[in-house]
Amino acid sequence: MSDDNVPQAAAWLEEYGDYLFSFALLKVKDIHRAEDLVQETLLAAITAEKTFSNQSSIRTWLTGILKHKIIDHFRRQDKEVMIGDLIDPDDTDNLDKFFTTNGKWIDRPVAFISPESAIQQTEFLEVFQQCVANLKPKQAEVFLAKEIHGMSSEEICKDLTLSPTNVWVLMHRARLALSNCLKNHWVD
Amino acid sequence: MLNCKEASQLASRAQDEELQFWQKMALKLHLLLCRSCAHFTQQLNFIRKASLHAGKHHHFRLTTEAKQQILQALKKKQSS
Repeated sequence: MSDDNVPQAAAWLEEYGDYLFSFALLKVKDIHRAEDLVQETLLAAITAEKTFSNQSSIRTWLTGILKHKIIDHFRRQDKEVMIGDLIDPDDTDNLDKFFTTNGKWIDRPVAFISPESAIQQTEFLEVFQQCVANLKPKQAEVFLAKEIHGMSSEEICKDLTLSPTNVWVLMHRARLALSNCLKNHWVD
Repeated sequence: MLNCKEASQLASRAQDEELQFWQKMALKLHLLLCRSCAHFTQQLNFIRKASLHAGKHHHFRLTTEAKQQILQALKKKQSS
């Protein structure tokens, strides 16, 4: 282990800590557990820095370590979690549950009745977080990075080795699923 | 004429990039005639605002205290 890596890890905490934390929180649903997982991830990153390949971005590499920490966490709780629950490379979800074969809405969108000020409410944030957590893994990852942590599409393409088309398809599916989830679970 | 599946894809895409002129026109026309897609577009704007707000909130962010604790743990590792 190199001591020089500690200031490095502190910089990673500053840069990627919020992303890693929110990613973990979506999965483990416990703030303190999620904080611990970020800490464990960075501690592991200090010692494992030599496994970092320059082909992946730091964020992707750290997220990879975090995913394994999350799996360990569930194993300790005797919950069976497959890596597939955290990563779904082909994201088989399609748009058939939203549209008929001739492209009409199956479940027509309705206007949200609550004013936009509702997004300030803690109750709303909890539902919103739950709805993001319910997304397919890859959709959740892209949505979290792009919409919540403000990363650019270019960055996301590079980090997750996705084409721009992949990203907007994932974003569109995420938005359809979120609008459905908010409609069903957020009664204000 | 766009169907709702296509219109909703364009509405979603318009959140991230500038549409081509003909796409914009086709979407505008569809939204004038289709209340469901107009509602979906409102929802997209709502979700965007909610995401921006959520990103500043502790549901999606480490607290200063948590960051401090993690930093302490990293330093402890350094001195061990």
